[in-house]
Amino acid sequence: MLVVEDDASIREVTALGLRRAGFRVDTAVDGRQALVAWRAHPVDVIVLDVMLPGLDGLEVCREIRRTSQVPILMLTARTDTLDVVVGLECGADDYLRKPFDLPELVARVRSVLRRASAPVASSTIEVGGLEIDPGSFVVRRDGREVALTATEFRLLLELARRPGQVFTRELLLDLVWNHSFLGDSRLVDVAVQRLRAKVEDDPAHPRLVRTVRGAGYKLSTG
Amino acid sequence: MAGRAVAPGRLRRRLTIAFVLVAGVSAGLLAGGTGLLLRQSWLDASLHQAAADARYQLVLAGQFLPLTEQRGTDLLTSFEGSGRHVVLVDGPTRPSHPAYAPTLGGRLRATVAEGQLGYQRSAPGTRPRLLVVGGRIPGSTAELYVITEEDGIAADVDQLRNALLAGWVLVVLLAAGVGHALARRTLEPVGRASRAARALTEGLLATRLPVRGRDEFSDWAASFNEMAEALESKIAALSAAQARERRFTADVAHELRTPVTALVAAASLLREHLDQLPDDARPAARLLVGDVVRLRRLVEDLMEISRLDTGRERPSIELVDTSALLHRIVAARGWSARVVISGEAVALRTDPRRLERVLANLVTNAVEHGGGEIRATVAGVGPLVVVEVTDQGPGIPAEHLPRLFDRFYKVDPARSASGSGLGLAIAREHAALLGGVLSVRSDPGAGTRFRLELPAHGPDGPPGGVPRPAGHVDVDTTSPTGGAG
Repeated sequence: MLVVEDDASIREVTALGLRRAGFRVDTAVDGRQALVAWRAHPVDVIVLDVMLPGLDGLEVCREIRRTSQVPILMLTARTDTLDVVVGLECGADDYLRKPFDLPELVARVRSVLRRASAPVASSTIEVGGLEIDPGSFVVRRDGREVALTATEFRLLLELARRPGQVFTRELLLDLVWNHSFLGDSRLVDVAVQRLRAKVEDDPAHPRLVRTVRGAGYKLSTG
Repeated sequence: MAGRAVAPGRLRRRLTIAFVLVAGVSAGLLAGGTGLLLRQSWLDASLHQAAADARYQLVLAGQFLPLTEQRGTDLLTSFEGSGRHVVLVDGPTRPSHPAYAPTLGGRLRATVAEGQLGYQRSAPGTRPRLLVVGGRIPGSTAELYVITEEDGIAADVDQLRNALLAGWVLVVLLAAGVGHALARRTLEPVGRASRAARALTEGLLATRLPVRGRDEFSDWAASFNEMAEALESKIAALSAAQARERRFTADVAHELRTPVTALVAAASLLREHLDQLPDDARPAARLLVGDVVRLRRLVEDLMEISRLDTGRERPSIELVDTSALLHRIVAARGWSARVVISGEAVALRTDPRRLERVLANLVTNAVEHGGGEIRATVAGVGPLVVVEVTDQGPGIPAEHLPRLFDRFYKVDPARSASGSGLGLAIAREHAALLGGVLSVRSDPGAGTRFRLELPAHGPDGPPGGVPRPAGHVDVDTTSPTGGAG
């Protein structure tokens, strides 16, 4: 995995903790170095600080997303809600606010990795013009393949397993992100937006992934 | 609002009435005096003329001397023929015309009897009004009274009175109009000033009064403007200072975050290996790990309160199950054995993350500073959802309650608590953002109860929200018999 963090203390202690947890860790100190390292050595997961000198974390995230659906976990030092949402919209799978607990970081990293490699039921699900193949992590829309991140795929899969059922944000947080206790429901909202942008004909008027006001989301079978 | 007990416009009415009274009384006196004087002078002139005429007629009457029955008749006929009504008294009283035969008064007769010219006027109101001037015909004992009609004068006097009355009414009306306008113009600056003062009260600090002319009001307006100016600059300075202070807090919190992050991560590595440390290093390492936890909490609370200060985040409202939230809060901290949660299922629309912050801070506060069994109850009371967190600890002395929600306020400064001193301040700010009220009651010796009231339909929900200003903090103490549980 790759840890991108400009502060030496945080970078070292984070790498130390992750190595102790059994990961092989590369580090980068800024955005440019991160992209170089990523291109030279594609990894399974990236832990990315938002505030980086030069090319910031958001740009790095966007750049990586152009070619890869690798799980990305953002570390945010900013307090603004807006930055969290922007980070998620750039394609990050999850985020952690500083200061964070090392065990929590390890748990989140494991969680995004599990999503990316979960051995789920292999039977293909067909719903609303979508063909979801959990075995090969492929979603086809009208025969063409749609590139989804692991998180988006998992979200779609959970919804598609019980079409028509209303999922609360909390339930989705638990199912998809493994957030055990009152996570941030905006995580769900932003992921749903991103998913709609990829699978809906008209993302502004979603036909498939419907919002149920005051409750949550459901996959419409109609 | 006691200052506004006098209804607007009352002073104006009073001024107008005073103006009308002064104008009415003076115009009335003037008109009355003029009328009386004119009437008197008309009557005097009439009398003079009549007296002169009577003297002449008495001389003429001398031609009919000596008076016999026949000559008396001739005299009467002659006078009547010249257009004068007379009364001849020569023994019997003989009027020249039966319609003009006034009773000759005793005083008149007495005056005439003394050889002088005398007169009498008929009583006011009688018609025709007659002026009788009489005297003795020279060289005889006979008396002749010449009668003049004064109806013309009476009519003139009536007309004059009517004219004066009409004039007076006109003057009074004019005075009322002018007085009203004057009072209005005079009092207008007062009204303007009170409107300006009200605008200042409502926070429109740029409010100023126009300074026109050079009278007392313009002086007043100038001083008012100076006051507003001073107020505005003082408030601007205060809010600038407050903004600086808040920015400083935010900066401090922000700058602390990076080293604290590294510390927290390092401490959690250290914690896992406490057992492998040499015996003499272990206590220090344990202290270090514990203090890093405290430092982290302080920094996070500081960041939260500075986020609340900027007020940029709007609550995101959802339907929340308050009891379930309480259960999760307690379970996440491993306090299920210490905290008893009870209550009904009530629908509450609010921001779950903010509600979680309020409830978690109240429960944490009860566990860390209270004691005994801690109860958390949820109830629907009308349009409100009420959450109460009660402990059976030592309670809080009454003098501390008003400042309990202040930042960094500690009931016992000597007691080194694990809290940051910001928890209750944060809880209050979140409660206010949710349109709610956070209050506290405490019985020293029996425990403390925090009460959170939230509008069930959310901060901007339909009518029936908390009928008090948001963010208001109630503080009261109960009597020792009041009970806290």
